[in-house]
Amino acid sequence: MAGGICVLLLAGCVPAVPPDLIAEIEAIDQDLVALRAPEAAPEDYTRFARQWVALKARVQADDDLIRWPWESNDLENELRQLHGEGWSTVSRLNRLQAAQRQQAESALSRLEARFLSITSHVESIEGRIALGGKPVHTDLLLKQARSFFDQKDYPRAIHTAEQAGHALATQTAALIKEVGRYADNQQITTWQAIAKQTVDWSRIHQSTAIVVSKAERELTLYKNGRKVLSYPVRLGFNGIRAKRFQGDGATPEGRYRVTDLRGAGQTQFYRALVLDYPNAEDRWRFRLAQKSGTIAPTSRIGGQIEIHGRENELMAQTLGCIMLDNADMAALFAQVSTGTPVTIVGAVTRENAVAKALAHLGSHTTDL
Amino acid sequence: MQLRQITVPLSLAILLAVGCAKPPSEQIEAAEKALKEAQQSGAATYSAEEYAKLEGSLTALRKEVSEQDGKFALFRDYGKVEQLAAAAKTEGERVRTDSLKKKDEAKAAALQAQQVAQEAVNSTLALVGKAPVGKDRAALEAIKMDVDTLKASLNQIQTSIDREDYPAAQSQAKAIHEKSQAVSAEIQSALAKVGKRKSSVSKK
Repeated sequence: MAGGICVLLLAGCVPAVPPDLIAEIEAIDQDLVALRAPEAAPEDYTRFARQWVALKARVQADDDLIRWPWESNDLENELRQLHGEGWSTVSRLNRLQAAQRQQAESALSRLEARFLSITSHVESIEGRIALGGKPVHTDLLLKQARSFFDQKDYPRAIHTAEQAGHALATQTAALIKEVGRYADNQQITTWQAIAKQTVDWSRIHQSTAIVVSKAERELTLYKNGRKVLSYPVRLGFNGIRAKRFQGDGATPEGRYRVTDLRGAGQTQFYRALVLDYPNAEDRWRFRLAQKSGTIAPTSRIGGQIEIHGRENELMAQTLGCIMLDNADMAALFAQVSTGTPVTIVGAVTRENAVAKALAHLGSHTTDL
Repeated sequence: MQLRQITVPLSLAILLAVGCAKPPSEQIEAAEKALKEAQQSGAATYSAEEYAKLEGSLTALRKEVSEQDGKFALFRDYGKVEQLAAAAKTEGERVRTDSLKKKDEAKAAALQAQQVAQEAVNSTLALVGKAPVGKDRAALEAIKMDVDTLKASLNQIQTSIDREDYPAAQSQAKAIHEKSQAVSAEIQSALAKVGKRKSSVSKK
């Protein structure tokens, strides 16, 4: 009888803590770790971890194993509260991570597209050298940001993407500063005036004259003041810039004359028209630059600027000369003589290729 | 006589109880020291979840000490405190060891990535060294500038390693490696276009 009563009483006892509850809180802990809660929500996770460790210690204590059904269970209540708080943190971090992922993806996609666009425009105007190491610096930051994104480290991906955005803005500003003169109305007006004077000279002297537009990479031959032919040209590897010193790869701008014609066998470039660079204005400008310190005192002014053909079909750029395809060079060579004026300007129209590229880049600055 | 027979053992029992009612200070200090050393090893970065749990263990220890301290001396029992302190010390030492190991692994991975990036840049520089001089060099001038920038960027990896920011070092190294390979491909394409003719140096 007494034994039966004991069995009945024991049968009415319940575990102090439901085992499922412990397993669920363990699972929440694992979810928090997977969500990088120690980094993303350090205070919340520390609070959770401390409470979880303390409660687990109590669970393991002997005097909490069983209880009567009518007994209040503070331990279970605290565990359930911890479960609720942990679950709330998991939900919040899931939402936060999803939002961060979206933010990082959006920023990266936008910047990568923008970088490609700028690179394409810079290549189209052959302005790569003008930007120095900036494009590489920007590209490295974008790659780093993408790497953090792939590792699901979204905060770092966002931060690095912001740095890439700043680098891209700096790159765009540098390009505008280097070639902004191609979009400057006053500068273009000056170039147009110089070109017109050359054309007028051709008309007045009933002779030939050449005008080269660097922005459009075009050489035009005038005869008696009328346009006779026009050919595409390639410039120096830094041709878009104004020439400053020997070796800078820039194609000079100014008024020159043909001083010598080099035919077959006299040049490695098929045919060549030698120009009188540097002229007096070039020398004056060079001395001024050296005096002001904008170029090194050991710099040299350079020379041997020519209009020539291609040494081989695959040559894409020169060291500063103006290069034509050989067939075009042959036609030009036949119509030019010693003393023919050659005027090289940045652009002859406001809607030149460089100005258009700058306008496109400038209109998307806010995208950064 | 009867009173003395009761009093002496009772007094001894009281003295013993009071003597045993002191917290195990040395064990508690050892546990706190283990936590501090784990923190100094960088556990908050390299074993963040385990470090947070270790902090939880110390919190539970401190709470138990506080509870026992609040009791009348005769009823204090620091047995559980001793257990918690011992467990926390062991756990702290384990977390520290684990953290140092992970930190060493992260550093080794960063150094490896740095080596790979350095080799890629060296390979690209070697290609640049094959670039022709004279009129044919025009095609490679822009690329050479990129290579110089890549070479300078290697310093950033070392800076990150010195700061013990190994994830940043790895991502920088990986980016430099990728870019080096792209530039190398561009150089090889340009070299193929230029051809193998030697050219004389000119002014320009």
